[in-house]
Amino acid sequence: MTTPLLEVDDLHLAFASREGVTRALEGVSWQLHAGEMLGIVGESGCGKSVTAMAVLRLLPAPPTTHISGAIRFRGENLLQASEARLQQIRGNEISMIFQDPMTSTNPVLTIGEQIAEVLMLHQQLGRRAAWARAVELLDLVNIPDPQRRVHEYPHQFSGGMRQRAMIAIALACKPDVLIADEPTTALDVTIQAQIMELLDRLRRETGTAIVLITHDLGVVAESCDRVVVMYAGAKVEEATTAELFARPSHPYTRGLLDAMPRLDTPLTEPRSRLPEIPGMVPSLRSAAVGCRFSPRCALADNRCRSEVPPLAPIVAANPSHRAACWRSVSEATAV
Amino acid sequence: MNAMTKEATIAATPSQKPALLEVRQLIKHYPGRGVWPKPQPIKAVDDISFAIGYGETLGLVGESGCGKSTAAKTILRLIEPTSGAIVLEGTDVAKLSTSQFRPYRRDLQIVFQDPYSSLNPRMRARDIVAEPLQNFGRSGDCDDDKMAALFARVGLDKEAMRKFPSEFSGGQRQRLGIARALALNPKLIVCDEPVSALDVSIQAQVINLLEDLQHELGVSYLFVAHDLAVVRHISQRVAVMYLGRIVEIGLVGELYANPRHPYTQALLAAVPKVGVGLARAKTLLKGDIPSPANPPSGCTFRTRCPLARSECAGSSPQLTAQGTQHWAACHFIR
Repeated sequence: MTTPLLEVDDLHLAFASREGVTRALEGVSWQLHAGEMLGIVGESGCGKSVTAMAVLRLLPAPPTTHISGAIRFRGENLLQASEARLQQIRGNEISMIFQDPMTSTNPVLTIGEQIAEVLMLHQQLGRRAAWARAVELLDLVNIPDPQRRVHEYPHQFSGGMRQRAMIAIALACKPDVLIADEPTTALDVTIQAQIMELLDRLRRETGTAIVLITHDLGVVAESCDRVVVMYAGAKVEEATTAELFARPSHPYTRGLLDAMPRLDTPLTEPRSRLPEIPGMVPSLRSAAVGCRFSPRCALADNRCRSEVPPLAPIVAANPSHRAACWRSVSEATAV
Repeated sequence: MNAMTKEATIAATPSQKPALLEVRQLIKHYPGRGVWPKPQPIKAVDDISFAIGYGETLGLVGESGCGKSTAAKTILRLIEPTSGAIVLEGTDVAKLSTSQFRPYRRDLQIVFQDPYSSLNPRMRARDIVAEPLQNFGRSGDCDDDKMAALFARVGLDKEAMRKFPSEFSGGQRQRLGIARALALNPKLIVCDEPVSALDVSIQAQVINLLEDLQHELGVSYLFVAHDLAVVRHISQRVAVMYLGRIVEIGLVGELYANPRHPYTQALLAAVPKVGVGLARAKTLLKGDIPSPANPPSGCTFRTRCPLARSECAGSSPQLTAQGTQHWAACHFIR
């Protein structure tokens, strides 16, 4: 296999506060290859966004944050990179779009100024050239009438247009990696479809690899090549998208899929109950003893409660589909 | 044209009669801003009619800004309607004065979207849930046993009564909001996006709770949401709104299996689907929802509609019958 473009290797991340230490990430690893769209899914607090922030070193410095492991971009460990080197990387080689298009643009600068700023900083373009490129970029992300729109302020844009403008800013320097953190969560479903279509098209045209962070399994199913499922700061399952939805193996992944109401299930009267995942996400203040999911898991036995399960292939024939579960692995090998 | 609207109003009622609630030609216009050019009213809700039967759930779906929350709040008169009738068990409550309306508030309760901002952070859970009872002079019903029973009904234990909202998770807070809405044994609960702020695993718990309560208590729901799969699961009938109007309404099975209005078709096509080997085939709607301050003439959907022709700019289509208990408002339904 080729060397990955971006690699997160055994990343541990902890935040210290007066209340104690929160273990946000406990040994997360994944790899992103060129041109790929990787989905990272999980519920609030599972550590998916914090992983993205860690990649660009957007988190508070030690001692409040303790980070270990490695984040390698083209083989270079970003955790050891200098701040000057990170400035070169951010927005240029790796860029990011955020969930909330309302608060992640600057309200007192026009959209054009915000796009041109990135180009003048990273690509040393002159003002005139940067503005011309800004218009091209707005056109690329399907903003109608870009010549006029480039002079407008964010408040004159609708939510969907603002998110497209954010994508234009992120793509301004033709980055190798785009990290999209819940890019469509604040948007309506018809606008979400437009944005996902746009991301997919841009990936094919520019070859930018995308990390898509989302809680929506439907979005992942339609767009991503591979999926990482996270729960309580750890990766619990990883597979190609087709494989994950065909054979979800970790009880948490299966629980998530079952708990979603779907458009294709038969309607019975009265309705069948949605299968729930009982309980809540655990506090990350205490160290994991056993599987983090075991208190909510119907399959959990004593071993699950005392030993942390390693990520292991579900079936020997397909080593790329791995899950961190004592039960699903042993059951699968038994079959 | 008025006669047609009337007909649609009468037609778009549930199979079972009489209805608990009938909304007829409900309008909410907000005054436009500015002095020149002459400000046009913002038509947040523009002539909608529907009915809800006893023990029934009507889902109300649409994108942000389509007027679904305004319509829901207008029924409770949290927003005063501009005109129209809101008939609760034979009484038009829209015409009553505030003091005359007050007793009817017991029958109409609401669960809000945001479980963080809809609970007073300085009140204990027990006081939050007991407040509606006290407001209606039923402090006698607030003893510990009765409150504990109410907490148990929504899946919270006795100890929860002493806690403050900040000590609860999002899902538990939404349970508190539901307990507060249930305290007065209402006939209708308006659920305004009750699960959209919750994670998938918690969302299933709250949906199941709402369904259990309906089976036990026979309460009706007006379920406002943008998630089409959730609405399909919980509703018996569904109304689709676009720019202040109902564009399609019908029984849930029929409407989802056989959507007639191009907007409903586009909405359903845009929902990402989980499934093996499902190709992405989408009629992508172009552009954004127009501003309700300056809606397109004629059919308000025509600016984004794949079927639009010049006639659509002329007259606004009315709801017409599309088979059993299914109505849609489009000039060119195939």
